[in-house]
Amino acid sequence: MNTTTRTSPVSRRGFLLGASALGTSGLLAGCLGSEGTPEETGTEQTGTDETSSEPSGPVTLQNSQSDPAPREALEALIGDYPGDAEINTVAIEQFRAQLSTYLTSANPPDVLTWYAGSVARDYAAEGLLLDVSDMWEGEGACANFSDALRELSSAEDGSQIFVPTNYYWWSIFYKKSAFEEWGVSAPETWEDFLALCEDLKGRGVSPLANGIGSTPWMASGWFDYLNLRINGAQYHRELLAGEHAFTDPEVEAVLEEYTKLIPYFDPNMASYSYQEAVTPMVQNESAMYLIGAFVTQFFPEDQRDDLDFFSVPPINPDVPSAEEAPTDGYFAASGTDNPEGTKELLAYLASAESQQTFIEISGSSNLPTHPDVDTSSFSPLVQKGIELLNSTEEITQFFNRDSSDALQATADDALTRFLADPSDIPGILEGWQAAAERVWDQ
Amino acid sequence: MPLIVWVFLLVPLVVEAFWVFWPAMNSFSLSFTRWNGIGAAEPVGLGNYQDLMSDPTFQTALRNNVIWVIGFGGLSVVIGLALAVLLNRPGRGIGLYRAAIYLPMVFSLAVTGLFWRVLYSPDGLVNFSLDSLGLGALERQWLADPDVALYAVLVAAVWRQVGYIMVLYLAGLKGVDPSLEEAAAMDGANRWQRFTRIVMPQLRSVNGVIFAVTVIDSLRTFDIVWAMTRGGPYNSTHLLSTYMFEQGFTLVNLGYGSAIAVVIFALAIVFIISYLVRSIRQED
Repeated sequence: MNTTTRTSPVSRRGFLLGASALGTSGLLAGCLGSEGTPEETGTEQTGTDETSSEPSGPVTLQNSQSDPAPREALEALIGDYPGDAEINTVAIEQFRAQLSTYLTSANPPDVLTWYAGSVARDYAAEGLLLDVSDMWEGEGACANFSDALRELSSAEDGSQIFVPTNYYWWSIFYKKSAFEEWGVSAPETWEDFLALCEDLKGRGVSPLANGIGSTPWMASGWFDYLNLRINGAQYHRELLAGEHAFTDPEVEAVLEEYTKLIPYFDPNMASYSYQEAVTPMVQNESAMYLIGAFVTQFFPEDQRDDLDFFSVPPINPDVPSAEEAPTDGYFAASGTDNPEGTKELLAYLASAESQQTFIEISGSSNLPTHPDVDTSSFSPLVQKGIELLNSTEEITQFFNRDSSDALQATADDALTRFLADPSDIPGILEGWQAAAERVWDQ
Repeated sequence: MPLIVWVFLLVPLVVEAFWVFWPAMNSFSLSFTRWNGIGAAEPVGLGNYQDLMSDPTFQTALRNNVIWVIGFGGLSVVIGLALAVLLNRPGRGIGLYRAAIYLPMVFSLAVTGLFWRVLYSPDGLVNFSLDSLGLGALERQWLADPDVALYAVLVAAVWRQVGYIMVLYLAGLKGVDPSLEEAAAMDGANRWQRFTRIVMPQLRSVNGVIFAVTVIDSLRTFDIVWAMTRGGPYNSTHLLSTYMFEQGFTLVNLGYGSAIAVVIFALAIVFIISYLVRSIRQED
């Protein structure tokens, strides 16, 4: 948690939030809700306009990627930046909590790491994000990015507010050497997959790794994929947008299928985080892991080449193929006092060379968004990931990115409850729907 | 009055008003709105409080807070007092014991939480010890089991707090007049009678301090729960403070979070006022 390296002056609000993170008294906690009343924010926003005259000081990048490898990669990129820039890394939990404070403050960080999706669009609708449409035109840094990425990076009014720099795919990862040792191979059909799980369980191996302890959102990975395979991407998106109810028979069918997997999960999954769940897999005590390609960085270096993956096999042959490919990148605060410098930094981060450097240093298996990145030197695993995403008909992001963080909280509660005791699916879905309605009402 | 007295009175008052009362007032007004941190806050009247009434997680958090105040206060005071009495004697190595028991106090609650998370992990020391003692049936995933997770966190918090309570009581015991105890012994009082009738009444002022410290400490508990469980599994270990933090800062539901903060504030004020009233009466 303590990965904060503050280089910017601590504002009063930042101090209050920091104080709360350190767990101050109930009394102070009682006062924390006062973080910026509406009136106060109003004045701060006008304050922003007043200070937007002279660019001063370096362009700041507020970074939420605090895992060691991506953090190092980004720090190296900023170190090589020819202009004047500084980086400020904050643990993702705190970053998420403070994002609105960053953006509305009188002196916001210029560039911020974030994901494409609903949160970015909400902020754009409030006028808090810098319009970067010119970067998507003519000679702009993002002009050659794919149309899907452009769509993903656009606000509701059609302008672009996001600069995607890499994305990754979700799939079922496994170790080739372990599969060889057990004499099994990647399954083609859903029945084969269930049979493989049964086979592995018989050998005393946990077939499916997972970590839903301090990262309960990992329970949504399988929910997303089962929904994509049973009901299709269209239904999935509509469900997350509130156009269907979680009490629908379609969702019930997803949990019925999910029930079949429960005996195959690592029995300790409720105590692990998604990083910790890799340990038994390293030791061949668990076999397969449905997770994003970022998982490769948690394996020891000498095992990374041993990793392979297969896509979740089709269940309902009538739905188009779909994969999850969350996209990461940057947006900038509209309150920046140096829009030109900010866009220069964004263009630098989006360039083919920077993307290549980031992917190489971070050791992750993320894919570049820039079409000019030479991917031929990338590992076979990454090549296969590119192929997977190029051949699928539909692309989704992830539960919270396709919906919202608030809806994710309802999924965390419902799905971890379900995984602990799947006997009352209708009851769990009713509770989920009630919680989701409270979110949609807000 | 000389000017310097006014300065000493007014400066803290201004600081207090700006840093404590003004934000508290804002929190109060914010609790009648719905606000996600951007745009304008939308007034909803008592809506947040009505939602709290029907919010199952809030009820869990409120119940957990009661369990916490009783468990944390009760256990740490009883164990701390027992240790103080046990270690309030001269002897070789007694300082070492005292230091060892006080040692956890130097770690922050967040560090304590991380440390205990390792102990509680599925193949951690707690399960290993149970297994070695032949109590394998008691092994469980301590922090992932909603029936025991809150108590598992409570044990970690008490582990840290007892050293503090012990030191306070040790200081109090130093002020106990030994001649009274000797006189009672001469009159034939046994150890228990001497403790309850002679020693405890002399510790009354220390008890008052410890009561206030533990109640306030237990109401403000946040970091150890956040570090160990984040309110999970499925919201079963939320305290009011962690639920407030989650609503306010993870989900950026600031109006609703403020309403919870007001509830915490009200509870704390009730305890503090009743404590002040009691101690003022005692002084009279």
